[in-house]
Amino acid sequence: MKTKTIRRQFLLVLLALGCGALPSLLWAKDLKLLNVSYDPTRELYVEFNAAFAKHWLIKTGDKVSVQQSHGGSSKQARAVIDGLQADVVTLALAYDVESIAERSKLLPVDWQPRLPNNSSPYTSTILFLVRKGNPKGIKEWDDLVKPGVRVITPNPKTSGSARWNYLGAWGFEYLRTGKDEAKAKDFLKQLYKNVPVLDTGARGATTTFVERGIGDVLINWENEILLGAKERGAGKFELIVPSTSILCEPTVSLVDKNARRHGTEAAAKAYLDYLYSPEGQEIAAKHYFRPQNKEVLTKYAKQFPDMKLFTLAEIVGDWQKTQKTHFNDGGIFDQIVQK
Amino acid sequence: MIVAVMIGTQTVTGQSPAGTEADELAKLKKQIAELAEKVRILEQKHELEVKEKETKSPATAELDQKIKILERNAELDKEAAAEKSKQTPKVSLDSNGLAVSSADTNFVFKLRGGFQVDGRFYPGDSLAKDTFLLRRVRPIMEGTVFEKFDYRVMLDFASGLSSSTFNNANLVDAYINYRFLPELQLQIGKFKEPVGLERLQSWNNLLFIERGLPTFLVPNRDTGIQLQGDIGSGLFQYAVGAFNGTADGGSSDFDTDSDKDVAARIFTHPFKHSGIDALKGLGLGVSGTYGQHEGSLRNYLTLGQQQFFTWFTGAGTNAATRNVAADGTVWRISPQVYYYWGPFGLFGEYVISSHQVTRTAGATPTHATLKNSAWQVAASWFLTGEENSYGRVQPKQNFNPANGGWGAWELAARVGALNIDDDAFPLFADPNRSASGIFSWGVGLNWRLNRNVKLSLSYEHTDVDGAAGNSAPFKENHVIFTRAQFAF
Repeated sequence: MKTKTIRRQFLLVLLALGCGALPSLLWAKDLKLLNVSYDPTRELYVEFNAAFAKHWLIKTGDKVSVQQSHGGSSKQARAVIDGLQADVVTLALAYDVESIAERSKLLPVDWQPRLPNNSSPYTSTILFLVRKGNPKGIKEWDDLVKPGVRVITPNPKTSGSARWNYLGAWGFEYLRTGKDEAKAKDFLKQLYKNVPVLDTGARGATTTFVERGIGDVLINWENEILLGAKERGAGKFELIVPSTSILCEPTVSLVDKNARRHGTEAAAKAYLDYLYSPEGQEIAAKHYFRPQNKEVLTKYAKQFPDMKLFTLAEIVGDWQKTQKTHFNDGGIFDQIVQK
Repeated sequence: MIVAVMIGTQTVTGQSPAGTEADELAKLKKQIAELAEKVRILEQKHELEVKEKETKSPATAELDQKIKILERNAELDKEAAAEKSKQTPKVSLDSNGLAVSSADTNFVFKLRGGFQVDGRFYPGDSLAKDTFLLRRVRPIMEGTVFEKFDYRVMLDFASGLSSSTFNNANLVDAYINYRFLPELQLQIGKFKEPVGLERLQSWNNLLFIERGLPTFLVPNRDTGIQLQGDIGSGLFQYAVGAFNGTADGGSSDFDTDSDKDVAARIFTHPFKHSGIDALKGLGLGVSGTYGQHEGSLRNYLTLGQQQFFTWFTGAGTNAATRNVAADGTVWRISPQVYYYWGPFGLFGEYVISSHQVTRTAGATPTHATLKNSAWQVAASWFLTGEENSYGRVQPKQNFNPANGGWGAWELAARVGALNIDDDAFPLFADPNRSASGIFSWGVGLNWRLNRNVKLSLSYEHTDVDGAAGNSAPFKENHVIFTRAQFAF
C-alpha cells in the first residue's frame, strides 16, 4: 500500500514536472538579437555568439540567434541613433555609447555602472605592426614622426580605434614632455603628415596595410595587430611593442528601449553578462582581447606584451572632455589636419 | 750541341724531372692565382651590380607606394560617396509628377495633379446650354512619413463647384492611411466611401467622360475612419468604415446628425494567381452602406448632367409647400464586376439605394421607404492593342508621328438605366416635373497620347421613362461630350 502510494506520488511529481516542462517545450521562444559592434570584433563574436546560444538554450530552453553589425565605432553609434535596431551595443569606447544615450534616449545616461569594470568586459591597447625586417627601424612612437615613414591609422572622426591610436600618440608625447600640450599637438601634427590614407575603421586600416601593401607601420588595436601578424601575414610582418601605450577600454551596453520593444531584454542582459563569465572571458582572450578576469588573464599572459599602460584620465580626463577637446568639429584633430 | 742545349736548359729550368714537376706546380699555382683573381674581379663586379640594382629599388618602391596610395584613396572616396548617396534625398520629375524621398524612402512627398477641359453640346432643341468648362482642376499632394503612414490632400478648383456648411467642395481628399501590413490598414479623413465600382475608379482613368448612372446613387467622399486591406496581393480586398453619412452621390465633411453610416466592401480576383491568363482579369464583389439619415435628399441627373428628378422641397407647412426629406434608415447594396483580358474590358454594377423619407405638408407627415436603383454595363477595346485595365493604361507607343507612334486608341460603349421607386409619385415627387426613370446608351473614343495627356469624345443618348416623359422640364436626349485631360 505504502509502496503504491509512493509510486503514485512519484508519478504525480513526474507528471507535474512534465506539465511544467511541456509549456516551455511547446512555447520555446526563438529570439533574435542584434549586436551592433565596432570593426575588429568580428571573429570574437562569431565564437562568442555560438557559445552564448548554446548556453541560453541549456539555461532556458529558448533558441537565440545573434546577428552582428560591424563598422567604425562612431559610425555604428550614429546608425543606432538613426534607427538601427540594436538590442545591445559593444563599441570601442564609452563616448560612443554615451552619445546613443544622450541623443536617442534608448538607454539611460547612467548606463556605465550597470556592468562590472564600468561596462568594459575586456581591454586592449595599441601596438605597431611593421614589415618584416622593420626596414624603417620603428621602435617607438617618436619613430612615427620621422620623415619618410608612412603611418597607417584610421580616421578618428569615424573610428574608435583611431581615437585610441591618436590618444596613444598624444599620451606618449604629453607624458614624455612633462604634460606639454603644445608639444603633444605638434607631435601629432607631424604624425598625421605621415598618414597617407585615412580608412573609416580599424579593419579597413588593416586591409590597407596588410593586403594592399601600403605604409611602413600600422598602428592599431592589439588584437588586430596580433591577428594580422599571426593569421594574415605570417612571416611577412613583425610586431613592435612601444615602451608605453594607452589602456583601451571598449564598453558594452543593453539598448533598453529596443530590447524591451523586441521582447529580448532578458536574453540581451544575459548576453552581456556572459561576456564576464569565465567562458566569455576565455573566448575574449583567445581572440587577443585582454580579459578582466584575473585568472583567465594569467592563463593567457604570454600572448599579451608586458608594457606600461596609461589611462585616458591621466592624459586628458573623461570622454566628454576628450571628445570636446580633440575630436569635435574644430577640435585639435581638425586643427592638425587642416591644410 | 743539342745535348748541351738540353743539358743547359735543364740546368736553367730545374734541370731534373723533379724540377719539371715543380715547374708544373708553380705553373698551376700561377694559373690558380690568376683564376682566383678573375673570380675576385667577377665577384666585385657582381656586388657592384647588385648594389646598383638596390640603389634603384627605393625609387621604384616609392613609386609603387604612391600608386597604391592613390588607388586606395580613390577606393575610399568611392565608398564614402556611395555611403553619402545612401543618405542623400532623391528627387525625380517624370510622368508621375514630382517626387522627393529620403534616401531610405521612409519619407516621401509627391506633387501631382491635373485638369480636365470639357465640352458639352446638346444637339436639337434642348434647354441645356452648350458649354466649355473646367470639369476638374486638381492639385494633389501625397506621400509617406515614417515608412508606413501615407497621406493625401487633393483640392479642386473646377468650374461651378459650390461648397456648403456640410461639405467643402474644394477639399476633395484629405486623409492619412497607416499601413500596419498590406492586409491591415487604417485610414482616417475625407475620402471615397468604399461603395461604387466606377466611383472608386480614379478620375483620370474613366472610360467615359462622366461616370455612369449607378454612381448617382452611391456616396462620393465622406469623412470617417476605415479599416482596409489587400490579402494575397489582390486576391481579396476588403474595406469597412464608419462615416458621417451622405446623400446619394454626395460628399460630406460635416455631419447633419449624430448618426453614422457604416460602409463595407469586399472584392476579389478569384483567378489572379491561377495561371489562367484569360481569367486573371476577372474581379467581382459587393458593397453597401447602412445608416440613419435626416435631412435633404439628392436630386438625380442625367449623364448630360441635367436634372431629371427632384423631390418636393418647401417649407412643409401645407400641401403647396410640401417638403420631402430623409428621415430614417438608408441602406445601399451594390454587386459589381469587371473583366479585363488583353485589349478588352468590361465592367458592370447594380445599385439599390433605399431611403426612409418623410413628407411634411402640414400637421400629419407621410412616411415611406423608397428604393431607387440603377445599373450599367460598359465595354471597351484598345484598337492599338494595349492591355486594358481598371487603372491607368500606358500607351504602347506615345504619340510621335515622326517615330510612327500614334498613342493608344480605345473604343467604348455602355448602356445603363436609373429607376425611381414608383411609390415616389405623386406624394414625394411631382410626376410633371420628374421622370420615373431614364435609360441611356453611349459610345466613346479615347485617345491617350501618352501617360499624361488624353483626349476623349463621346455621345450619350437618353430616353426618359414615366408619365412625365414628354413634359419634363428638360428635353435632353442627346449630348456630345469632349474632353482634353492632362494628369500626372
